[in-house]
Parts: sequence; structure tokens; C-alpha cells
Amino acid sequence: VRPNVTPDQLDTHDASTFETNNAYELSELFILITLYVILSSMSREALGEFEQMILLAILHLGEGVYGVPIVDEIQRRTGRSVAPAAVYVTLRRLEQKGLLTTWMGESTPERGGKPRRCVKVTRSGLASLRDSRKVLDSMWKGLDPKLRGAQ
Amino acid sequence: VSQRSTPPSLARRLLEHALPGDIRESIAGDLHEVFQRDFQTDGLSVARRRYWLKTASFAVHFAVERWRDKRPGEPINVGLTWLDFKLGFRLLRKYPMLTVVGGLAMAVAITVGAATFEVINRVIDPALPLPDGDRIVGLNYWDRAGAGQRLPAPNDFLRWREGLRTIEHVGAFRSVQRNLIVGGEAGEPVEAAEISAAAFRVAHIPPQLGRTLVEADEDLRAPAVVVLGHRLWQTRFGGDPAVLGRVVRLGGTQATVVGVMPKGFAFPVHHNMWIPLRAGELSRDAGGRVTLRTFGRLAPGVTLTEAQAELTTLAAHAAAEFPALYANLQPQVMPYAQSFIPIRSDFLFRAGIHSINGFAVLFLVVVCGNVALLMFARAATREREILVRRALGALRSRIVMQLFVEALVLGGIAALLGLTVAHFGLKWGLEALNTESNEWPFWFQGGLSPTTVSYAALLAALAAAVAGVVPALKVTKTGLEHGLRAASAGAGGLRMSGVWTFVMIAQITATVLFTALAYVVQQQAAGIASRKAAFPTEQFLAVRLEMDGGVPTETNAGRTDEVPQRYDAVVRELERRVVEDSRVVAVTLATRLPFMPQDGGMIEIDGLGVDDSSRREGFVTATAVDVDYFEAFQAPILSGRGFAPHDAGSSANTVVVNRLFVDRILAGRNAVGRRIRYKAEGAQSASSASPWFEIVGVVGNLVLESDAPLSGDNPANPLVYHTLGSHSVESYPLYLAANVRGDARVLVPTLRRHAADISPTLRLSDVKRLDEASSSDVSAWTAFARAILLVSAIVLLLSLAAIYSVTSFAVSRRTREIAVRLALGAPAVRIVANVFLRPVSHVAAGVATGCLMIGALVAISLSDSAPSSGTLMRHATVLVAYGTAMMGVCAIACIGPVLRLFRVAPIDVLREEA
Repeated sequence: VRPNVTPDQLDTHDASTFETNNAYELSELFILITLYVILSSMSREALGEFEQMILLAILHLGEGVYGVPIVDEIQRRTGRSVAPAAVYVTLRRLEQKGLLTTWMGESTPERGGKPRRCVKVTRSGLASLRDSRKVLDSMWKGLDPKLRGAQ
Repeated sequence: VSQRSTPPSLARRLLEHALPGDIRESIAGDLHEVFQRDFQTDGLSVARRRYWLKTASFAVHFAVERWRDKRPGEPINVGLTWLDFKLGFRLLRKYPMLTVVGGLAMAVAITVGAATFEVINRVIDPALPLPDGDRIVGLNYWDRAGAGQRLPAPNDFLRWREGLRTIEHVGAFRSVQRNLIVGGEAGEPVEAAEISAAAFRVAHIPPQLGRTLVEADEDLRAPAVVVLGHRLWQTRFGGDPAVLGRVVRLGGTQATVVGVMPKGFAFPVHHNMWIPLRAGELSRDAGGRVTLRTFGRLAPGVTLTEAQAELTTLAAHAAAEFPALYANLQPQVMPYAQSFIPIRSDFLFRAGIHSINGFAVLFLVVVCGNVALLMFARAATREREILVRRALGALRSRIVMQLFVEALVLGGIAALLGLTVAHFGLKWGLEALNTESNEWPFWFQGGLSPTTVSYAALLAALAAAVAGVVPALKVTKTGLEHGLRAASAGAGGLRMSGVWTFVMIAQITATVLFTALAYVVQQQAAGIASRKAAFPTEQFLAVRLEMDGGVPTETNAGRTDEVPQRYDAVVRELERRVVEDSRVVAVTLATRLPFMPQDGGMIEIDGLGVDDSSRREGFVTATAVDVDYFEAFQAPILSGRGFAPHDAGSSANTVVVNRLFVDRILAGRNAVGRRIRYKAEGAQSASSASPWFEIVGVVGNLVLESDAPLSGDNPANPLVYHTLGSHSVESYPLYLAANVRGDARVLVPTLRRHAADISPTLRLSDVKRLDEASSSDVSAWTAFARAILLVSAIVLLLSLAAIYSVTSFAVSRRTREIAVRLALGAPAVRIVANVFLRPVSHVAAGVATGCLMIGALVAISLSDSAPSSGTLMRHATVLVAYGTAMMGVCAIACIGPVLRLFRVAPIDVLREEA
């Protein structure tokens, strides 16, 4: 699709040629991004239960939240005791997968002068959560009468 | 204003090491924040404990994460290959002396370490070999005033049994001795557990035959029943399957056998017979003298803390009812086996006991330090190979790892050997130490636990690290260029540095000390074994006489008033019947007989001059004897008189002493007419001391002085004899001694028959001839002597091997120099002196240090008795002779290298070098 331009013709390009070139590059970029999104959504790994819980806790707490409140939130909502180390390990894994993004926050005397590592769920993280929910919903679909029967 | 504190610094540092660099700071900050929160709400100790737990959790989680991050199938490279192990095994074969000596030394150290760990674990954290044994608990009181354990009274037991919900099947027991009379046989005493039926539900073990005890058996009107242990069933009933329903006599009562428990079942402690504990017979009075050991099983889902909380609440009601009795008593629920430890089992106590393992580890490090010396000498012989490998690009760590693996192979074999010895040694040792009257609890029996085996693996790794890595680091420390130059010049680049000199001297010092210790212990064992009496011991039969209801034990404190009178009458009747036997020459009674362990105390002597202040006190043993005791044992009265009938009685204030008393306490001065009294422990005033007793006579020693060098278990002691009934010596239980014509054992059946006729509640135990009375001491000392001998033989062997290695190393390193000097005409003797001067001086330093330490110990032990100059001179001469002999023994190890030096042919060596 690239116009057939030789190096000796480059200097003779007029403005219209530049515009045509930019349009071509933009469309190329768009196609690449689309391909990337499609491919990445195709290869997106299913989230584990614990990963989902952490992402959901972050969403509940809002942007800029850090490790301590996340652990507390999961314990509060699930009523289960959670090993903080497991939460931090998972946070790191989610960040490596691109489902979370982190940045260094403020440091306070209560923290021994150490900074907070704040987290935010990325678009990709949100998409993964949606996918997981979709999968679960489809699995749950139609089971209500049976579950009621079991009760 | 809120307070702040800081998390434990060690935990913080560990955490920093455990976390990945990019998130280290933020996680440390988060944990700091949580620590502050815990500190504010739950206090410092809880916050610290949680911080430590979190640190451990983070370390584990991130270690696992790192492991996951590795590419699949990627090996973990710690520099180990199977080839290293193969080479390690090959070297064991190539250097058999090092394998045997080093392996044995490591095995002994690992045996000591594993056995120490196992014994400590059994004492501190014993595991009950019963289904869900960790849910079985013991209930008792902690006396805050007396700082000791207090067993609950029947009243407490009944209250707890009715009130506790968190603990199921609450039961209790007490140990009782009963004569078990089967058919027409004479009775033999058996220790029975008078126990609640709940015990069998707690233990969860079904009977082998019949049934266990049930609640209905505890009813006062229920017929008496008994459940037999497997051993008792085999020994007394010949394993008869029709034993159920048989009626036996237990002391004064008839009981029906209703069940037999399977082999190995000995709950609650070491019991082999169970009779029902009848709660209706127990006094419900608070503060009664009878106590019971109480136990139960934690209800499903209940923790120890919850059970403790409920018991504390329940006990608070009793405390409110009887404040004077329960003011200082704090109830406690503990794991069952731990409830038998009479000391408060807090963290510090446990840590203190566990720290004993540190000594065993230290011993291992010292022993492996010596093995390291041998490994270093071996590595020195491979110096050229190591240098070439390094020159070809091998990393230092790779070579260190290889030498470590070589030591690990040796350590692994030593660990196998050590574990085998520890396993069977412990099993047999515990069985051998089990006596009729002092049996180990059932959870104490058996061999090593899997935890100890894992611990031994760690010890083996440590042993390999010390014996392999230290020499490897030394060997690879030399600069490559310098090493290659020195090696190509014919002499190795390695030198015996100060560390090895120290190890060598310390090792020889230990050899000198251990050999001396082995000699002393051997002498002690031989001295006790060859103890002699002034009377024919094989003609004397000794027997302990006890009666039901007359045993003052922890679960049955004191006797009722009528029991002593009945006991005296029964014992006198038995004495009368025995003396009428035509085979019997004489019969007498005493609280302790010759050769038996005796209680002792400090006495104060009246009537000595001011200048005798050092002789005013002395340690003696006291025995209460019948008035005819000295005649029965044919002990000659050396001065004064023996006991007369008017000396007997509770108000008696006359005593007789033996010859050893006169010799050791009074230094040979006249004893008759002097007064003595016992010093109360810690008593400051005269009012708290015992009354004065007048010495009325001196008798010959019944036990002759032995050659045993130590006072421990030595049966020849200064003795003070009181008459029976004197309040100064407890007169229960009594021993009967019968002088029989010929072998005293012939009297045993007659004696048992008489006892059964007089009273079925009279129990005869510990029946043996007097020459067998201290046989357990003899066997214990002999076993100890053998163990010390084995250790000292290994230490000596290790020393000799080390001396051999060092001298051999010196010769091989200087072979070229020796050849040159010999070629230039130097006399061989002078070269020998030159080469061996250093190793021999190390040996001399070690021997001298060891001898000086022995000298100091002897001087300390003699300081009490103010020895004469002759004695001191004799000891000094013996010490010098011993030191010289040890030098001679050590010199044996130098013979091989010296001969090798003499065989050095200058022409051959120089040609080879060229």
C-alpha cells in the first residue's frame, strides 16, 4: 500500500504527498493496534479466583489504593483470613501481566519513611475481569432451578 | 498521643533479603504500617510475633515465586553433579584411613547430636503414641506461692468432670501397689492404675480380650474388676485366652478379670493393670491430702486456649468458695505428657532446655574441625591437580563445591551409622534402664522419630560444611601463579597455618583429657564392681516390705494413723516367722541395708575445739536400724556400745557411727560421747536445726573402702545409725535382711508364703541378695565407662591420624629440600629433627596443656582435704609419667613419616624433579 517513492524523489514531495503518506501511516497504525487488541484478547489468560478478588477489591477501593487496604478489603468482604504475602505476590504477577499499573506514592512516619506503591486496574485488567465474569455467568446460566432443588 | 515502636530489626533485615528489589521498600513500608496498627491495638509482643510470622510468610511466598519464574525445565545450578558424588565415593576407597577415622568421628558426633535432640524432644515436646494423642490433655494447678505443680484433689476432679464442656471424658488416676495373687501362688506386687473408665475412651485403644473398664465399675456396689496389661497376662497367666472371668486377689480384695489390653498399651504412664477409681470412696473435702492426676480429651474443634479459659472460669468458683486454699493456685490445661513436667514450661524454660542441643552441635563442630585437618592434608596431596584445574578455568566455587561433596559423602555414611547407633542405643538403653520400681512413661519408649532423622541430615550437612568447605577454602586460597610456581619447584604452596596449629593442639589436649577421664571412670566402675563387705553378702537376703495404703506417693500423701501400727505388727510377725526357720541364722530390719543408696545430710558436731572449725561439719548418711542390726551383720563394736532395747523409741537420742565416720569426719579422734545434729537446709538459726544426738558407740565398717576414686555411688560412706522409730529417719518402708546358711535365694519362696499367710496386703518387693543390691549402679557405671572409653579411643585415633597427616604432609612438602640436604651430606638425624620440630612441638604443647588442666582439676578436688606434700608429690609424678606416656603414644604416629624420610633417595628425587 506504500506509494512507490524512491530516495531521489523524496525532496520533490509536495504537501499533498505528505498528507497521503501520513494517512497511510495512520491507517497502518490503526490496523496494527486493532490486530494487537484482537490477538491480545484472544490470548488473554483466564483470571484465577484470587486474582479476580484482588482486582475487584482495587476497583471497590478506587484509584491510588495500596497493599494494606487491599488485604483488609478482601478480608472484610470475604470474611476469610488472607495471607498478605499471597496478595503482594499476586499484585506483582498482575502488574507483570499488564492488568495493573503501579506508581510510588507518599511516605509517612507510620510507614518508617517508606513510600506506598499505589495501584490502578488497567483497561486490560478491566477487560479480563469482564471476560471472567462472562465465562462464569455462562456457566451459571440455567442452574438456578437445580440449585434451588438441592436446597 | 499515640505511641510508636519499631519492628524487630533482625526480621526487618531478613525481609529485605527475601523481597525482590523493585518492591522491597513499599512492602517493608506496608508491613511497618501494619506493625504500628497491631502495636496500638494488641501490644508490642503480639505485634512483634505477627511481624515475624509475616516475614517468614513473605520469604516463603517470594522464594516460591522466584522458583516459578524460572523457565520450565531449567535446572537449578548450585554446581553439583553426580560425578562429584562418584568421585567422593572413589576417594573414600582411595584413602581408607581417613574414611575410617573421619567417618567414625563424624558418626560419634552425629550419634551424640541426634540422641541429645531426641531425648530433649521427648522431654519437652513428647508425642503420645495414641490416636489423636495431641488432643489428650492433663489438668493440674500451678502453685504461685510454692512455684511448683500441684495435683488436683478429688473434689477438683469431680467438679471439673461435671463442669467442663471443652474437655471431654475427664478422668483421673492414682498409682497403687497391690499384691497380685493368682490361684494358690504367693503374691507379687504389681503397680496398678486406679483409674476412671473415661481413660479408655481418651486413649481410644480397644481391648485385645473382653472389655475395658466402664462407668458402672466405678459404683461402690459394683463387683471389683480388673483389666490386665499384655505383659502381665503373658507372665502371670501364661497368655491364657480363658483368663476372662477368673477371680484374682488384689491385696485384700477379690477381683474378676474382665479384659486384657493389647501389647504396648501402658496408659496413663507405664501401667500394666487397671482397677476402677471409685469416686464415691474419694473424699470431697476441699484441701484433702489425697490428690489425683487428671486428664481428658479436647472436644472437637476446641483449642487448648479455649479449654484453658473454661477451666480458669470453673476454678474461679472454687477459689471464691475456698479463698484460703485456692488463692495461689492457677489451673492449667497442658498437653498430657507435658503435664508431668513439674516445672513451669514457659518459653524461656523451653529455650533453655533446647539450647543443650547447642553443646552437641559444638561437639560436632569440634570433631569435624579435626576431620577437616585430615581433609586438608588429603587436599594438600591433590594440590597440583587443583591448581591445574584452576589454571584451566575452573571457578573457585566449583572446586569448593567438589570438596564439600566429598565430605558430604563421608558425612552421609557417618550419619547413617550414627542414626543406626542412636536408634538402637536409645531403644536398648531405655529398656535397660527400665527397672521394676522405676519404669519410663510409655511415650518415652522406642527409637528415633522422623524429626530427629531430618535433624541428623542437617547435622551431616553441617559436618560436611566444616570438614569439607573449610579445608577447600584454605586450599584454593593460594594465588594461582604462586601456587603453580611453588608446585613446579617441588614444594607445595600450602602451609599449615595458625588455625590448623590451634586445631592440632586443642585436639591433643582433648585426647589427654579424655584418656584421663576414661581411666578415672573405668577405675570408678571397677571400684564399685569390686566393692567388698565385712560380711558374706551372698548369704544375706534383702527384701522391701510395703503395705497397701502405706505408700506415701504424690497421689497418696501420708498414711492414716492406724496403718503404722498395723504395719509394725505385720513386719514383726514376719520377722518372728523367718527367724524360726532352721536355715536362718539371724534376721534384722532397717530403712536401708549396706550397698543400697542412702539419704544423706550435713551434720554439726558439738564438742570440738575452736581450732577445729574446719571439722565442725560433715556430710553423712543416716539409717534407722533395729537394735539387733549389728549382731545380725556381725559388725564389731570398736568402742562404746551397740544399741540396747532402751535406745529404741521416738524420743531416742542415741546414735552409733561407723569407722569411716571417725576417720573422715573426726579425723580419727574419739567419737563416743560427742553430740551431733542435722543442719536443716538453708537454716540460719539453731532453733530450726534437729535435736542433738549422742554418739554411744563406733562399729566396724560393713562396706569396706573401695578403690573407686569418686564419691558418686560409692557405697562406703560415713554412717550414722539411729534406732527404728526415731523421728530423725523415715521408718517406712523397711527392709528385712535375713542371714541364711548357704545361698540366700533359697529363702524366697518361704518368705513369700509367710507374707501371704500374715496379710495379703503385705507386699514383698526388691527381693535380692545383698551382693546384687548395687548391681544397677555397677552396670550403669560400666556402661558409662565403655561409652567414655569408646569416645576417648576415637579421639585418640583422630589425634594419631592428625599427627600422622601433619608429619606426612611436612615430609612430602619438603621431599626435594630433604633430598638436596642429604645430597650435600647433612646427617639424616638432623634433618629429621628439623622437619619434625614443628609438629612435635605442637604435640608437646597439647600434652602439656592437657596435663596442666588435669593438674588443676586434681588440685581443686584435693583442696578440701588439705593434702600432705607427699600426696601432692605422688600426684605430680603420676601426671608427669602420664604426660610422657602420651607423648610416647603420639610419637607412634610419626614412625611412618620418619621411615619415609629415611627412605628418601636424593638421586631419584632430583632426577624425577629434573
